[in-house]
Formats: sequence, structure tokens, C-alpha cells
Amino acid sequence: MAEVELRYFAAAAEAAGRDTERVETDAATVGALATLVAERYGPAMARIIEKGSLLSDGIVVRDTGRPLGARLDVLPPFTGG
Amino acid sequence: MTESRVFARVSDDPPDRAALEAFVTTDADGAVVVFEGVVRNHDHGASVRGLDYRAHPDAERFLAQTCAEVSADTGLRVAAWHRVGELAVGDVALVAVVAAPHRAEAFAACGRLVDRIKESTPIWKRQHLAEGTSEWLGL
Repeated sequence: MAEVELRYFAAAAEAAGRDTERVETDAATVGALATLVAERYGPAMARIIEKGSLLSDGIVVRDTGRPLGARLDVLPPFTGG
Repeated sequence: MTESRVFARVSDDPPDRAALEAFVTTDADGAVVVFEGVVRNHDHGASVRGLDYRAHPDAERFLAQTCAEVSADTGLRVAAWHRVGELAVGDVALVAVVAAPHRAEAFAACGRLVDRIKESTPIWKRQHLAEGTSEWLGL
């Protein structure tokens, strides 16, 4: 089991009802934890994760098989500009 | 380290357009292209009252990286400033500036810069509609 800090932004924070949380997980990869988050918070979060992106310890996740780090950020699709 | 060819900022303050123009422009430049992204009063047929922009704490680092990539690709000086917080119709949310010896390269580089900023900067907007509801965009 590893302890991971999850941070949620914008619509993801709304879907989770919180900005941040610490979880104990046996998920080995960022993808596995993202799937757990989607299941826990339901369709709105699942859609955000599907369309958005993840940052693992500040690095853009390009491969969801990446080993889980200490912090995972859930980012909805960017809409700046 | 060589002199920086990019300037990037994400802040609550209104973008300082003059400072960005001064940063990118050299005596060798004959063209300065400035893009301003402005809050408009409508979206998908609904009346818009304002936008609330939120940024990831690392947004400025990502914006700087995007500016650096466009600068490296084009060889030009590049600057961008994204404002966050509650903005009203008419407020400027984004200023992106590129200078070049000739206009064609400045227009092309600025267009590419804005596209890349929208794709890769972790910033989100919530739209407040005139009817009183609000919604996160992009979903």
C-alpha cells in the first residue's frame, strides 16, 4: 500500500466535492488509480478523466502504465485563452 | 545561460501588453503581432455575463515551456500573459506577442503560439450566463 496525494482542479474538484485528498492504495500505476477515482466519483469524473489529463509529481502523464508517484493531479480538458 | 527569449506570466493582474511588446521587440524587427483573447458576451447562443479562470499552480511553468518551444521552433522572441480570476465581458484574458523581421513569420508564429497555449496550459474557465447559471467549459 502506498499513500498518494490526489489533487482535483476546476470541474474535477466539483465532481469530487473536494480539492485534495490523501488515499492509501495498492494501485501500482497512475492509470489504475485514475480508474479507481472514476469509479468512486461516478460518470462526471469518469468523463473528465477520459477527456482530460493527469500530472504525476508535476509531470504530464503520456503512458497510464507509469508507476504511481507521491502525487497525482486530475486535470479536466484545458480551456484557457 | 543565454539571455532569455521568452516571457511568460499567469496572474490575477491585467496583462501588461506594453511590457510584452517591449520584451519581444528588437531593432531587427519590422513586425509585431499581438493577440488579445477577450471575454465575449455570448457562447453557443447564450448570453454570457463573465468568466472565472482558474489555473493549476504550475500553469506559469507550462506557459513558459510552450513559449520556449515556439521560440525554439521559430527563432523568434515570444511573450504571453494569461490572466486568471473573475473576468467581465470586455476584459482581456490572454495577450500573446511575437516579433519578427517580416509580418508573415510574425503572424504565423503568433497563431501557432495561441493554439499551443490553449492546448497545453492547465487553465480552466467557468462561464457565468446572464440567466444566472454557470458551467465549466470543455466537457
